[in-house]
Amino acid sequence: MTAHTASVPSEHPGTDARGRWLGASVLGLIVLSMFALRFGVRPTGWGQIWSAFTAFQPLNPEHIVIREIRLPRLIGAILAGSSLGMAGALMQGMTRNPLADPGLLGVNAGASMGVVVCILIFGMTDPADFVWIALGGGLVAALLVYLLGGGNQANPARLILAGAAVSALFLALSRSLLLVSQQTLDVYRFWVLGGFDGIEFSTILTLLPFIAFGLALAIPGSLVLNALMLGEDMARGLGVRVGLAQGLIGLAIVILCGATVSMAGPIAFVGLIVPHLARRIGGSDMRWMLFFSAGIGALLMVAADLLGRLPLFGGNMQAGVMAALIGGPVLIWLVRRNGVSKL
Amino acid sequence: MILRLPFLSLHFSQRAASVGSGLFLALLIAFVASVQLGAFPLSLQQTWSTFSGNSEGVQRMIVIEHRLPRILTAIGAGAAFGMAGSMFQTMLRNPLASPDVIGFNAGASCGALLAMALTGDFVLPGAMTGGIITAIAVSALAWNNGLHPYRLILIGIGASLTLMACADVLMTKLDALTAAEMAKWLVGTLNTRDWDDVFLVWTGLALLTPLVIWLQFPLSRICMADDIATGLGLTLSPMRMLITATAVALVALAVSVAGPLPFVAFVSGPIARRLVRGGSPAVLHSAVVGAIVTLLADIAARSVPIAQLPAGVFTAIIGAPVLMWLLLVQFRKGTL
Repeated sequence: MTAHTASVPSEHPGTDARGRWLGASVLGLIVLSMFALRFGVRPTGWGQIWSAFTAFQPLNPEHIVIREIRLPRLIGAILAGSSLGMAGALMQGMTRNPLADPGLLGVNAGASMGVVVCILIFGMTDPADFVWIALGGGLVAALLVYLLGGGNQANPARLILAGAAVSALFLALSRSLLLVSQQTLDVYRFWVLGGFDGIEFSTILTLLPFIAFGLALAIPGSLVLNALMLGEDMARGLGVRVGLAQGLIGLAIVILCGATVSMAGPIAFVGLIVPHLARRIGGSDMRWMLFFSAGIGALLMVAADLLGRLPLFGGNMQAGVMAALIGGPVLIWLVRRNGVSKL
Repeated sequence: MILRLPFLSLHFSQRAASVGSGLFLALLIAFVASVQLGAFPLSLQQTWSTFSGNSEGVQRMIVIEHRLPRILTAIGAGAAFGMAGSMFQTMLRNPLASPDVIGFNAGASCGALLAMALTGDFVLPGAMTGGIITAIAVSALAWNNGLHPYRLILIGIGASLTLMACADVLMTKLDALTAAEMAKWLVGTLNTRDWDDVFLVWTGLALLTPLVIWLQFPLSRICMADDIATGLGLTLSPMRMLITATAVALVALAVSVAGPLPFVAFVSGPIARRLVRGGSPAVLHSAVVGAIVTLLADIAARSVPIAQLPAGVFTAIIGAPVLMWLLLVQFRKGTL
């Protein structure tokens, strides 16, 4: 690496470059989606994908696999990846901390805790019931973090510490409960592996309104974040109602993250890595960041889900693990290549 | 209060001194409680008589052979974690930073699992090698005409997450029994420590602590903006390198005797800094806080009646509420 790369501040890509990147990622997503429909345990041909949608035969096993198993899985991966990517971008923008991931508001830990308690006390075993419990647990934990973080006068530093403390406490509590009860562990470990295995259309339809609502909050949130990232005093001076803005953005993060957790289990890595990748490509304008984070998140998640089906990883490795395996080296490479651009 | 000697003068904050002695007292109480509690409870008198040397065999054996090594290891490991965490947080100016940031723990987990999967043994050498190689690789990758905190954090995240995922994959390659055993080690446990562990951790601490005490002075300046720190006469990159190396050595020391105990390194710094106030790095206070948290976690692990739980489960259950309480109290007072 030569010396001058470090001294040159990160160039802000022009709109042209951004447009090209956006086109490339959409194209990549379409190609990957085709692959995701094509490959799996049961081999299918390109023609069958086409005919499964144009001339569906209810008794053709290939058509059933494509439409009932691979399609929901693909949609689930796209939704989860883009939600987590956006939530991560909002979280890192709001706290101005590159180490913040959307789980830091306690959503993942709260959801896990809720699931563990319900298995232990009510003896629930059906993963379909866990959707609402996970959502509820996540909301409770997020509320706790918000109150501990100082309510409507929250500042990022305190919020981060409160979030880390609550998450760690909840995770440790659920871990100790699991060590105590073997039966709970047996049910829980399948939920926590999560991934997009047994996803059905009904689950996706249940959660779609939540994701849409989260998105509706995230877009105005990203507009305010540009001002908020200059520092709170500066933002206040620019006419932003800081407390309200932070509340709305926090709500968006909680909803996006909660919907994902209840669909695919706690996936931590995507929300942490994706915003960094997005920032490297699209610069630090939050409006573009949000788009790119959604796109790259979906791309990463679908790729991870696809790679996890390779026989090398036992044929069914969880998508969150695969996302980290792919995303980590890419992040290191980008940081080495492009130098440092701050949040 | 300022102490003036012919060759240097030191600034002492009264609050730091009183908080320090308070923490020390708490550690002492936890130590005595830890000696007494357990499957074979001892009274205060019995404890005293054991230490003064006139007691019968069983009692002496339990205290000297079993409890003391474990307790002293816990204190040493906790102190090392506390100092390392506080140094990383100050240097990187990020309250979320801990040694995990440089990938040490992830590398150690991966190395331990790899050693187990390939040879069926050598967990500790594997962990040390993995951790140190990762730390060196992350620093080398982040070095680009100087060591920049933000780049170190990003590269550390990338390496750490990837290695964690590798560890998950490796975990699925082990058979169920070994996997359960490894899961326990990876959480961090203090079961069956002996005097060798105690000597190892305390010798290491004795060697590194003077360096840490000296590093406090640059640390209290390195947390300012780069320009100001340079203006105050710090050569930033070499100093960051030295701090990183020292912190990694401390973590390696602690992991080698107690496994990668989670949360201790993260929580000690914020608790100590909030108790001391005044914006100093409070590295030594963090060491005592880390020791208390680890010791209490070990006491909890021993007192829960069901099968030996690893101490790593309890570090967060003990550390997190304290941090939450501090956040709440100081918020009310408006001193945060």
